[in-house]
Amino acid sequence: MTTEELKALEIAKMVDARGTACPGPLLAAKKAIGEIGSGDIMEILSADAGTKRDIPKWAGKKGHEYLGDIEEDGYFKLYLKKN
Amino acid sequence: MCIGLFSGGVDKLTYAGVVISGAAADDMEVEVYVHLQAAQWFVKGNENRKEYLSESPDSFDEFTKALESTNSPSWLEFFEMAKEMTDVKVYVCSLAGKIWGGSREDDFIDIVDGIIGIGEYIDAAKDADVHFLI
Repeated sequence: MTTEELKALEIAKMVDARGTACPGPLLAAKKAIGEIGSGDIMEILSADAGTKRDIPKWAGKKGHEYLGDIEEDGYFKLYLKKN
Repeated sequence: MCIGLFSGGVDKLTYAGVVISGAAADDMEVEVYVHLQAAQWFVKGNENRKEYLSESPDSFDEFTKALESTNSPSWLEFFEMAKEMTDVKVYVCSLAGKIWGGSREDDFIDIVDGIIGIGEYIDAAKDADVHFLI
C-alpha cells in the first residue's frame, strides 16, 4: 500500500511500543491482536529497527496481512490486518 | 523449542528471556531445562545473590546500565511474560537444585514447573525442532 493509503486506513487498535526495545514491540503486538476482530487494522508504533523486519514475518506466520509501514521522525508506524 | 539453560550470568539469562519471548510471540511450546550455574536464580531466597555477567565480567556496570536504558524487562519478567502468553515449562535439574539449596518444588520460585533428571532433558532435546544451549 502507498503511504497515502496507509494514512487513510481506519485503525481499530494502536499500539505505542516506542518505549521498548526488541522484543517489546513484537510482544505488544501479540498481546494486542487478541483485542481486535477479524479484518480490523492494527497500527504499531516502534522505534526499534528490528521490529520493521519482525512484525511482517510474524504477521505472515500467523496469517495476518501486513500492509506496510510509514517512517516517521525516529520511529516507524507499521500496519497489519488481522485474519 | 527446547532450551538447556546452563549459564548464570545476567547477560545470558536475559538472552534466554528474549529468545523465549520470541517463541511466545509465535505460540511455540517451550521447555526450559535449568542446569548448574543458572539454577541458583531459580531457588527461593537467592534473589539477593550478587549478579554477574557470563561474558566480559568486568563490564557488568556498563552492561546493566545500557540494558536499563532500553527499558527492557528483567530476565525474570521475560520468563513470566512468556509463560502468560504461551506454553512455557521451566524444569530444574535435580543436581543443580541441590547445589544451590533446592531439593523440593517448594524450594523454587513460582515459574518453576518441576524438578527433573538429566534423562528427561536428553529426551526433550532429542525430540525438539529447535534446541538452544545457553
